[in-house]
Amino acid sequence: MITDRVTYEQLLGISGCLALALLAHITTLPLWVPGIVVACGIIRLGLARGGRGTPPGPLLVTVAVLVVPLLLVRFHTFNGLVAGTALLSVTAGLKLLETKTRRDIYIITLIIYFVSLAALLEGDSFWLLTYLIGVCWLTTATLLRLTSSGPAPGWRPSLRYGGRVLLQALPLALVFWLLFPRFAGPLWHIPSDSQTAASGLSDTMSPGDISQLALSDEVAFRVRFESATPPNRERYWRGPVLDLFDGHTWSRSASLQNGAPALKPLGPSYKYTVMMEPHRHRWIFMLDWPSSWNLPHSELSSDYTLMQAEPLSRPVDVVGASYTQVQSTESLSDRTRSRDLRLPRERNPRTAQLARELRSAHPDDMELLQAVLAMFTRQPFFYTLNPPKLSDDSVDEFLFNTKRGFCGHYASAFAALARAAGIPARVVTGYQGGTLNPYGDYWILRQSDAHAWTEVWIEGRGWVRIDPTAAIAPERVERGLADAASADESLASPWQRRTLWFSGWRLRFDAVKEIWRERILDFDQDSQRRLLEFLKIPEPDGQKLVMVLAAAMSLVLAWLTWQVRRELAPRSKDETARAYARLCAKLAAAGMPRLPHEGAEAFAQRVARLRPDLADIVGNLCRQYSFLRYAAPTTSVTLGQFQAAVRAFSARQGG
Amino acid sequence: MVSLRQAAVNQLRARVVRRHGRDTLPISINRRRIYILPTRFGFMLGAILAAMLVAGLNYNSNLALAFAFLMSSMALVTMHHCNRNMLRLSVDATTEVDAFAGREALLEFELRNGTSVDRRDIEVRCLSGVGMDSVGAGESATIEVIAPVAQRGVTRISQFELRTRYPFGWFYSWTYVQGSITIYVAPAPSGNRTLASGSAQGAGSHSEARGDEDFSGLRAYQPGVPLKHMAWKVLARGGEPVVRSYSSLAAQPEWLDWSMLEGLDTEARLSQLCLWVLESDAAQRPYGLRIPGKELAPSGGAAHRFACLRALAAFGVSET
Repeated sequence: MITDRVTYEQLLGISGCLALALLAHITTLPLWVPGIVVACGIIRLGLARGGRGTPPGPLLVTVAVLVVPLLLVRFHTFNGLVAGTALLSVTAGLKLLETKTRRDIYIITLIIYFVSLAALLEGDSFWLLTYLIGVCWLTTATLLRLTSSGPAPGWRPSLRYGGRVLLQALPLALVFWLLFPRFAGPLWHIPSDSQTAASGLSDTMSPGDISQLALSDEVAFRVRFESATPPNRERYWRGPVLDLFDGHTWSRSASLQNGAPALKPLGPSYKYTVMMEPHRHRWIFMLDWPSSWNLPHSELSSDYTLMQAEPLSRPVDVVGASYTQVQSTESLSDRTRSRDLRLPRERNPRTAQLARELRSAHPDDMELLQAVLAMFTRQPFFYTLNPPKLSDDSVDEFLFNTKRGFCGHYASAFAALARAAGIPARVVTGYQGGTLNPYGDYWILRQSDAHAWTEVWIEGRGWVRIDPTAAIAPERVERGLADAASADESLASPWQRRTLWFSGWRLRFDAVKEIWRERILDFDQDSQRRLLEFLKIPEPDGQKLVMVLAAAMSLVLAWLTWQVRRELAPRSKDETARAYARLCAKLAAAGMPRLPHEGAEAFAQRVARLRPDLADIVGNLCRQYSFLRYAAPTTSVTLGQFQAAVRAFSARQGG
Repeated sequence: MVSLRQAAVNQLRARVVRRHGRDTLPISINRRRIYILPTRFGFMLGAILAAMLVAGLNYNSNLALAFAFLMSSMALVTMHHCNRNMLRLSVDATTEVDAFAGREALLEFELRNGTSVDRRDIEVRCLSGVGMDSVGAGESATIEVIAPVAQRGVTRISQFELRTRYPFGWFYSWTYVQGSITIYVAPAPSGNRTLASGSAQGAGSHSEARGDEDFSGLRAYQPGVPLKHMAWKVLARGGEPVVRSYSSLAAQPEWLDWSMLEGLDTEARLSQLCLWVLESDAAQRPYGLRIPGKELAPSGGAAHRFACLRALAAFGVSET
């Protein structure tokens, strides 16, 4: 069939849609994949423009034979999300290259729809969803132009029609989305693609690690307190606890004993929800000493860090409770004691010497530690984001030479000194403080809130948190980093934090993002249960959910049927009458009111007598009216034309 | 597979007849007689939608699910639109059609759209022919279906189909209209016998011998006119094909008689008679037709020509 052959314009339309769909993947796909697709599109369009058909078959086969192994080499599999998307995209490109008939383009539209969806499996922003719905709209309009026989309808009516279909689909889609049963886990294991760069704390800490994080505005997690909020100086969010020291870098010991020792609370319990952003590791940042949490497949390690079985590949919410002041009820095991006292030999000799001097001056552990803190304040130590680089004996160099450091330097030096003095000590990394979002009543913890502090074992009290940074830069702990860093140092963008209106808007934006996350992205079984409870359905379960879905669907479908058929109502005679009434009103204003008993013909004749100049036009309009009103639908004059003519009519004309 | 599908279609057609009985044209299409199914493209879309749903559920992605549900809902809305595209359309057809065997029959259907929604791409399928057109709001359109007819005779069509794939080609909805259309398939005009001149003024050589003196004007070309009457000069100037006609004021009625064609079989006789009818009509000579069981008194004009052709078409066909 000749009419089935694609035209240049049709190819251009579909190529544009494909390009827009691929644009959503531009950050994840290796650039050569969209490159191949674009090249295919350009070649095909060039051929079509020159009036030629598809490139020869052998060329197509060669391209396919070259590209598919290339994909395999790059991804090793077609099972992953990115690999699958790449394969689909390349398929679409090749299909475009060999497109002869409309039917080939139909296949490409299906690929566009699926590639759009694939982008949503990776991204989660509102804008991405909006963009992809736009792509889908455009593709559907292109499809409408493609499927119609005869001359293709214009872009504008096609887009309008596609938009109408889209809008009519919205209520049904909403019902589906709200009520379609969600599953707790994936249907089968998802091959996880290598993580996209997510910054955050790692399980090692070298001097200078955390100051890199201080430059990042990325949100690590958000927290909502149920009632009381602990004061700033007690809001320490515990992450990985580091107990191995090689003289330069702190790291986590691989084997962790089972279970955390029991604690005796000394202060109030805080109830809160942590809304974690995904990161590369298994830990979850709970407030200081967690006592309860509701996360399946997770446990508290012996150093009180909450660990999940799998890395946090997706956002999770954890409802938990914690204490900020506790006392250990058990004594430190010998194994732990020896681990937490270990220092590498022949490293940091001056530190060891200093510890010995301090020990002889202060037999009491607590006094000794106070003396160290006093040393930090008394001597010219500085709190800075840009400390000098340190060699292998990092603690010696920091304590006796450079004396400039960030929280990691102080925590590291403090713990090393304590260990050298015979006090079990470890470095805790995590986050501290946070920013309250008044628009959402929750706290935001950004990467720039990352912090390191120490815990020391004091006989009779257990683990005691000591934050040496508080000694050197108390405002860091009290008010946050932006105030602590001196003005001449480069924060990510200091004006962002300092300009009030800007930070206000940023917080508002974050509050909206949080609602998006909480209500949309994290919508799950639990939310559906609450929805059913809200609908006053007793004992909600999956079966009732499906019943409600069926009921809601039939309602919406009934509405849809009504909505679609409503437009079919025969052309309204009322509209005709209304237009005629307008004509009569215009004539009445010109001193010729229609008499109640007068029909259209009689009225027209009377007007013709009174105003011969209007005879033709009024006679014509009245005839059209009779025709529209009393005759069958006809092609000679339409309601629209009649209405337009009445609108244009003026009794003053022709005079 | 194909035969299975054909069997299902035949069963449906029979069921439609049982359920709705015969229709008197024109008829307005109501919702109870519109059927709808996905096209092949629609089934592919369905598979893609299912894959989207599974992907969304598997990745536990609420946004992907939202997109998949939106697309599925669009498909459902499209189904309603496809159905609506045919709803309350008024259909009429030319119930008597003339054709020649071995040529095509031109079937005309009139669609009237009394609603305020445009109806696009409505197909009419009848015999093996398909015609398509759009009908704007409040307008009407004539759709021509050209179907080849091979056999001489009277073909009665009791059912034709209206179909549409609008808007996106995902679904097609269709309906059967039980309207009867009769196609009179006249025999293919052919034969080499000349009219026996004994009966009256002859054709052929005689008229040629009279030269141009009886030339009376030009008429539009019609099939069956002797080529030597064509006004080639007019055609060469780029005009419509026309033929010279000759006055036949003094013409005597001429009988085109079955019995004049001894020695030919039935179809050949009918074809020869058909050719004579067309020639006589083209030459504007009054003529009568006499075939076994039927006699049409000599006359002229289009109505007479049709009557003769239909008589030839119906020869030997049992009238019911």
